[in-house]
Amino acid sequence: MRTQRTRTPHADTTKPEEATPLTRKLNRRDFVRHAGLGMAAMANVVLTETKTAQASSAEPDADAVGVLIDLTRCTGCNSCALACKVANRKPNPEVAPTELSNDALTYVAVEKDAQGERRFVKRQCMHCLHPACVSACTVGALRKTIEGPIVYDAYKCIGCRYCQYACPFGVPTYDWNNPLGLIHKCQMCFQQRVATGKPPACVTACPSGALRFGKRRELLAQAHAEIATHPQDYVDHVYGEQEAGGTSVLYLSAAPFEQLGFAQPGSSPIPQTAEAVMALTPVVALSVATLATGMHLILRRRQHRDNVAPVTWPETKED
Amino acid sequence: MALRGASLRSNIPAEAAWPHIRRCDCVLGILGFLTLAGVIAGVGRLLLGLGATTALTNVYSWGIWIGFDFGLIAFAGAGFTMAALVHIFHREHYHDALWPAILAGLMGYVAVLALLVLDLGRPDRFYNFMLYWNVHSPLFEISCCVLLYSTVLVIETSPNFLGRLKWSWVNPLLGVIRRAMLPVTIIGVTLSTLHQSTLGTLYLNMPHRLHPLWWSPFLPVLFYISSIMAGLSLATVAYRSAMRILGRAEDRSLIHGLCRIVVAFSVMYLTAKVAELWWAGELPMLWTEGLARLWLAELLIGVALPVGLWLIPALRRTSAIQWIVPILVLAGVLMNRFDATLAAQVVSARARYTPHLLEWISTIGILAAALMAWIIGVRFFSGEQRHGHLH
Repeated sequence: MRTQRTRTPHADTTKPEEATPLTRKLNRRDFVRHAGLGMAAMANVVLTETKTAQASSAEPDADAVGVLIDLTRCTGCNSCALACKVANRKPNPEVAPTELSNDALTYVAVEKDAQGERRFVKRQCMHCLHPACVSACTVGALRKTIEGPIVYDAYKCIGCRYCQYACPFGVPTYDWNNPLGLIHKCQMCFQQRVATGKPPACVTACPSGALRFGKRRELLAQAHAEIATHPQDYVDHVYGEQEAGGTSVLYLSAAPFEQLGFAQPGSSPIPQTAEAVMALTPVVALSVATLATGMHLILRRRQHRDNVAPVTWPETKED
Repeated sequence: MALRGASLRSNIPAEAAWPHIRRCDCVLGILGFLTLAGVIAGVGRLLLGLGATTALTNVYSWGIWIGFDFGLIAFAGAGFTMAALVHIFHREHYHDALWPAILAGLMGYVAVLALLVLDLGRPDRFYNFMLYWNVHSPLFEISCCVLLYSTVLVIETSPNFLGRLKWSWVNPLLGVIRRAMLPVTIIGVTLSTLHQSTLGTLYLNMPHRLHPLWWSPFLPVLFYISSIMAGLSLATVAYRSAMRILGRAEDRSLIHGLCRIVVAFSVMYLTAKVAELWWAGELPMLWTEGLARLWLAELLIGVALPVGLWLIPALRRTSAIQWIVPILVLAGVLMNRFDATLAAQVVSARARYTPHLLEWISTIGILAAALMAWIIGVRFFSGEQRHGHLH
């Protein structure tokens, strides 16, 4: 308060200066106006950033849930895919899907490994720990819950389909035949079941024990224990432990994952580069605005000194 | 000093009468027809949905609409680059090229918005990005900046339209706009810097899809530099076309100056593109990867060739070269945006995308409408020639 009070008369003493050339008065006033605008914009961005930061880049909860898929136990019976259709009220719940679509949020792919042996691979959303789709979504319709699953607020979606490009696993699908189409993806039955502690529909439906629901931390330990006790049955790799920074869905397999059509997105979180650049936005905005204002002031002063007639824009009529 | 540029155009009448150019009318007729076809195609898309009217799939979810969108945003950089040149760097010499450029900028952004409405799955909710913010999303920032910058362009172009009205409130309003113009220009340059670079940031979220020859953490910088190249190139083409339409003589030193800046930024861009590959250790890819041909074509046709032509002193001052250089740069930048969006996307070999006929008709219709509006704006709202008039 004190500094403010001493500053006010200070501003008053500068007032007589306004009688000096027109350019000077405008300079100072313009400068203050721009600086104020810039500060307001920056404060706004910083505030909203801290508010929403939790949603997309916070460390996942230690008790976050996940699903462990043991491909060696999968018999390709498709119970999971059909149960998923029922749970999500999709059409034709008796027909086993062969790809992800707006009508099938999971399916069982039939892959051949290098030895030519048939392998069943259940595919669905991986529920990344650092989801690129959540980071990319223009309107924040996709969001990561504290519990782990990535859910979709359909009412926010504008159908830009950026999530389809950001996802390293090719999961989100669009409803192409609907004139007002939306995105469709597995939400780990969050609203219907997981939020109340029940496992997702696919896990409940699995008759062979290939799917296991639990805390990701514990599932990961179980997976490594499984590999340690049966090293001849598994490759020494839990897919999803590191991939794209880690995923909530984990896989165990007898054949190397790259032979079964699994994406190889590396171990760093996909959205980290873009988020680092996006964080520079306020700095860039403020720098450009300041530089532009400064450049204008310096060059106009020089022009004034050289006695060049200033150009007004727009031209107002003289009469 | 006061008469910079004025000496070159002394033989021009102060204010040309409204020109009557038959050829221009024919062009407008054809553009009108294309617009009509585009409107019909666009309405068809909105009623029938994306599946029935496009070739888009879950793999190629963005097609030529998005390719042209990103190309047009770079082209529409004409607005902010020329406004910065004239009103922030105070190169008043370029003032005559300002109106065609900011008008082209406005038409570019209007076309971008129209294409976006067609591409959005839920165009009825286009305003949702204002209600639900995601500050991490490049596309959120682009949406905000495009909306705000379109407003800036409307303010920047408004005096030429308002000035034609005879009502008493027009002059006071013009006075208000004139006082607001400098801050508005600075805000416009800031917004453009943000979203032109963020279009590059957009691709940072797809390292698994975009070929490493194109993907780079420096994409925001590369996109920004290329938007300046494309913007000033379009400003050159727009100025020269506008002078033809109006039947006025060109200011050759102005054109030469614009081309020179375009070439300077092209050299910077070429250096940055090659340096980025070297830095990432990806230079050998130019010999091993099939897509390298596209990368080379983009840079040879769109950057190296215009720079090379400009370096020959005998050619530099010819009118033909001063058309060819900016047009090649525009082609190169458009190629770059199409490569990043479509051709350089590494996806399953089975996935195919051949644009649907309706995608082409609607795109051409929107481009034709923008060009038509630009021609009308140039013909009837250009105002007086500053240098011929003031001095």
